[in-house]
Amino acid sequence: MGGFQIWLHRKLASATIVAAFMRSDWAWPAVESIHFIGLTLLFGTIVVWDLRLLGLLKRVSIAELHRLVPFAVLGFVINATSGSMFLMTEPNQYVYNPAFQFKLLLVAIAGVNVLVFYATVFRRLRLLAPGVEAPRSVKLFGATSLICWIGVIVCGRLITFYRPGLCRAGEPLAFLVECIPPLSSR
Amino acid sequence: MFDPFFAWLESTSFSVWMRESPSLFSFPIILAVHTIGLGLLAGINVALDLRMLGFAARVPLAEFRRLWPFLWLGLWLNVLSGLALLAAYPTKALTNPVFYIKLALIAVALLILRSVRRFWPADETAPAILQRRSIKPLAIASLVCWAGAITAGRFLAYTYIRLMVDSRPVPRPWMP
Repeated sequence: MGGFQIWLHRKLASATIVAAFMRSDWAWPAVESIHFIGLTLLFGTIVVWDLRLLGLLKRVSIAELHRLVPFAVLGFVINATSGSMFLMTEPNQYVYNPAFQFKLLLVAIAGVNVLVFYATVFRRLRLLAPGVEAPRSVKLFGATSLICWIGVIVCGRLITFYRPGLCRAGEPLAFLVECIPPLSSR
Repeated sequence: MFDPFFAWLESTSFSVWMRESPSLFSFPIILAVHTIGLGLLAGINVALDLRMLGFAARVPLAEFRRLWPFLWLGLWLNVLSGLALLAAYPTKALTNPVFYIKLALIAVALLILRSVRRFWPADETAPAILQRRSIKPLAIASLVCWAGAITAGRFLAYTYIRLMVDSRPVPRPWMP
């Protein structure tokens, strides 16, 4: 993992145009605001969708409510883009940050959850008449998604409290590096 | 003028705990709760606005009544976490005009939310959907207010003039 992290750090640091833009006046706070607006779009629509899967809005047709899902995807695209811009500007503050690592893990779990959801139950679920409760397996997808995205928000806000320091010289690197290795610090 | 009040608030044990406690459950988790509350209140409101703009139009608006408790949950999470964050740094927020812009935008967004509630009939057969035309500008205004409130909130970290009551003012060229 350590080798991958150092490689990723170097790759991200090579995006100098993005970094130059992000260091210009007000760019960082503006992109942060966009990241939070994306969060609102993604989380809000996903919460409504997950609550339907959990049985709260039973009388709403799944097929109809699904028309809100593209807005969650839009929120995700906005946040993957704006998030990458932070990464390309201060790569060592993210790549070696345990809060960020955990955040990415939760995004990945949410991603697998949604892929399995679409690959297995979604097609049958679409045909479900309004008023019919979704089966228990479907509730598990909803609950997993809800928990993951809440965790993503918490970890995202904790990033600033887990800023990595420089690794001590001569210290062997752990499997998952949580300090900035000397060779890659610029 | 309010300096004695700020000084008193900053010296209370809760304020000191918020700022100085090494515990994850003081400032960091309360900040995270504030963001989850934002996601619930503004996020579900955005979903509602999208519905009012005509997306997922066949979802009965009446059903959105069931989301009301989650909007309330988000609002109360943020009133409480917001007050805690304010208690931590009262001078920082209350001497910054951007903070009042944020509060005003939230107030307008909440008034819009309250006023569109009459479009969610308890009885699905009620003809409230007919009034959709008058609801769209409100939905757009709501989206604009929430985006503005979020942006103002983010900018609080970059526009404050005094961090604490006895800190030296930060020069802000755009301020008179």
